[in-house]
Amino acid sequence: MNIKIGFEIHQQIATRRKMYCNCPTNYQEVPPNTNVCPICTGMPGAKPLPPNEKAVAAAVEIALMLGCEIVTGQTIYIQRKHYDYPDLPSGYQRTSLPIARGGELQGVRIREIHLEEDPGQYDPTAGTVDYNRSGIPLVEIVTEPDMKSPEEARKFLRTLVRVLEYTGKVRPEAGGAMRADVNISLEGGGRVEVKNINSVKGAYRALKFEIIRQKERLKKGLTVERETRAFIESQMVTVPMRTKETEEDYRYIPDPDIFPLILEESWVKEIREKMAEPPHLRQRRLTERYKISAAEAEVIVSEREMADLYEAVASEIDPKLAASWFKTKLKKVLNYMKLRAADVKFEPAQLVALLRMVEEKRVTPEQGELILRELARNPADPEKIMQKLGLTPIKPTELAAAIDRVITENPKAVEDYLAGKKEAINFLTGKVLALTHRRADPREIAKLLIAKIKKSDN
Amino acid sequence: MVQGTLEKLAKIRRGELSAIENVSSSLELIKKLDRKINSFIEINPNALMEAEAVDRKIKKGESVGKLAGLTIGIKSNINVAGLRTTCASRTLQDYISPYDAEVVKRIRAEDGIIIGMTNMDEFACGSSGESSAFGPTDNPAAPGHIPGGSSSGSAAAIAAGLCDICLGSDTGGSIRNPASHCGIVGLKPTYGLVPRQGLIDLGMSLDQIGPLSADVSGTVVMLETIAGRSDNECIMLNVDKLNCSEKIQDCDLKGLRVGVSKKFSELTDPRIMDVIDREIEKLHDLGAEIVAVDLPNLELGLSAYYLIVSVEFFSGTRKFDGRKYGKKIEDVCGEEVLRRILRGRYISQKEYRGKFYQRALQVRTLIKRELMAAFEKVDVIAGPTVPKLPHRIGTKLTPMEMYAYDYLTVPANLAGICAGVIKAGEINGIPVGLQLQGRVLGEAEVLRVMKALEATE
Repeated sequence: MNIKIGFEIHQQIATRRKMYCNCPTNYQEVPPNTNVCPICTGMPGAKPLPPNEKAVAAAVEIALMLGCEIVTGQTIYIQRKHYDYPDLPSGYQRTSLPIARGGELQGVRIREIHLEEDPGQYDPTAGTVDYNRSGIPLVEIVTEPDMKSPEEARKFLRTLVRVLEYTGKVRPEAGGAMRADVNISLEGGGRVEVKNINSVKGAYRALKFEIIRQKERLKKGLTVERETRAFIESQMVTVPMRTKETEEDYRYIPDPDIFPLILEESWVKEIREKMAEPPHLRQRRLTERYKISAAEAEVIVSEREMADLYEAVASEIDPKLAASWFKTKLKKVLNYMKLRAADVKFEPAQLVALLRMVEEKRVTPEQGELILRELARNPADPEKIMQKLGLTPIKPTELAAAIDRVITENPKAVEDYLAGKKEAINFLTGKVLALTHRRADPREIAKLLIAKIKKSDN
Repeated sequence: MVQGTLEKLAKIRRGELSAIENVSSSLELIKKLDRKINSFIEINPNALMEAEAVDRKIKKGESVGKLAGLTIGIKSNINVAGLRTTCASRTLQDYISPYDAEVVKRIRAEDGIIIGMTNMDEFACGSSGESSAFGPTDNPAAPGHIPGGSSSGSAAAIAAGLCDICLGSDTGGSIRNPASHCGIVGLKPTYGLVPRQGLIDLGMSLDQIGPLSADVSGTVVMLETIAGRSDNECIMLNVDKLNCSEKIQDCDLKGLRVGVSKKFSELTDPRIMDVIDREIEKLHDLGAEIVAVDLPNLELGLSAYYLIVSVEFFSGTRKFDGRKYGKKIEDVCGEEVLRRILRGRYISQKEYRGKFYQRALQVRTLIKRELMAAFEKVDVIAGPTVPKLPHRIGTKLTPMEMYAYDYLTVPANLAGICAGVIKAGEINGIPVGLQLQGRVLGEAEVLRVMKALEATE
């Protein structure tokens, strides 16, 4: 069945002050209605300050990272979008005409990008409104209906979230700062818009529900009307919104109290030169340049700081070894310690030194991981950490002695192995490892054990 | 006029008249006369205290601001912290403003004493002063007649001598129209010269705050106080400070080119035109060259104006939804306010987009070009302010008859230029004001001509 899915995504831009006034933006950390002034509460007579330039720059950067063409050298009106809702202090929301058009991310076309402002937060149960959020800048990203399944849509959103995080200019998704309206149409049905989605997971669930709902209707020979529905996260269902809300005419007019934006080509160029490489393009470049696998590159670019660290390390040492270490060991250590790559304190050179030790087989990969863990905890020279952890390399005679001892003390396991039970070798290897305080490489031990057992069997 | 604004200021500075005395006499006059005039709808309870502070400064020999001790009336659509800024509407009847408009901050910084809030047409929607929820204002210069509007209370308070200077707002003539009917001085500054932060919306692309006073000096000193860029709003001209006191001293108008248009007489009551023509004759006598200018589409401005104002007013009033200020505007407002909201709602519909609002904006551009072309030939354009004499309070007018008062004043708002009004004469005791329109930032020239005419009295 032919399914078409598209998004309108709203993401808060992380500026220090609001879009049209100087109120702070840390709305979640302060008591209700404390980050407010006559402007963001729409008091009679209050006029907006000039648009927050940092917010405009952030939106431009996001647009560039999504491969959009920026609308430069022409007037971009800030429009008033009128609708009546308790969270909207002036009865209209300010929203720009597109500041950029025609981008692409993961095969999904980006139609256009707008700058908006957040309304306040209405609590229908208590009947109260908190205007702390009112006026926080938002970037609105509108895609074409290019996704064909909830899975594809989820993948796109995840990638998009990563791109947005890469800019370092949006509020993290964890804060509930991303909101999406999704539109979905099945072959033979009308286009349904679902509002009130607050996470990637929510979008996926809403889409799943909608597809089942719409399919059921079509199967029964019913029509799927063009309508707007709301997602109820707690019940994982969508419900129709009142028709009044959907058929509303927003009566857009250019805001007479704000000069239209004009984005200068040279200013956009400056942003382009300073901006981070978007993760999806960086991933492609890493696989090509360092000849590493797509899976490895994907893990490496998952955080901008991780990718920066990788590139610093890969220039000094075998990039393939580094990539496999990033994908497995480093990711594991960071997850275990609940750290983000941005929190890493050690120097790239220290990681290079560690990998060199591994490369030269002076430590085993397992030992290397122990050193890495310590490195992440208390950055120091890996050689010193190795000393401290007592991971000095074992002498061949010492290892040979340990192997002899284990073979002598475990005749049953040796017999088993000779009888064809290959896994017995793992047991013996474990014994040797314990005896040598894990200073030897298990692969090496196994090899030596097999050789020794076969030799004595002859 | 007993004494000029500058003389009074000098007396206060010298300690010959205390700010307290000035404020007290203003309060007494209001008490005595305003029951009948109804020009003030809110009095500042702290006025005497504020006056005392100014007197203390003077006594200590400290420097004081350029409005030191003068009594200032503020139109009720300009926010003054702690006072009810009602727009003379039941919608905002209990709205005590939490903040000072930028112009009010500037008045306070210059030691002006805000005496109270003046009456007005509800939400500045009117040209007669009759649509206030607090009742109509009388015209002290022609009792029983309308004072004009919408800055009706501001003009009447000045005409009755209740205070020294008032602020009004002018979207389509709301300062000039009542200044003309009340026989006083008023000025609508160039759009973007005076900050609007704190001015409650009528037509945001047209609104401008300006002074009303008994003499030209009062208007000048207030304009110098309130004019100039503010970083706290977007739509401002890049003008730091305005200083025109020196530029207006010269009463010789030699070399000045004054434009007149035959369009004015086509639209205006001939009795008014007679008074205006005599005044233009005076300009000629003062050395000005009178030049005919062509304003072929002037009268189209009126309908364009009412379309633009209605759409912007509709938008600006959406915040009066009944949730924050007690009463939803559509539920309690007067006829004219409702008419404009409904008209704005109607013509801003998606399906009419190209038909009304965009067309109105095109006419606006046309009028602007026409006036700009005229200003290549002349320095100011002189003519009547209002095409007809004020009616008696209570006379029933159709909306179009009411709107017709604005034919000659809306073009300056549409073009964003400045325009001043000064009394030219009387017809059966009813004042008639001469309107002098000037270029963008042509305030000094307009005020110079007004000053020169004032000196001939």
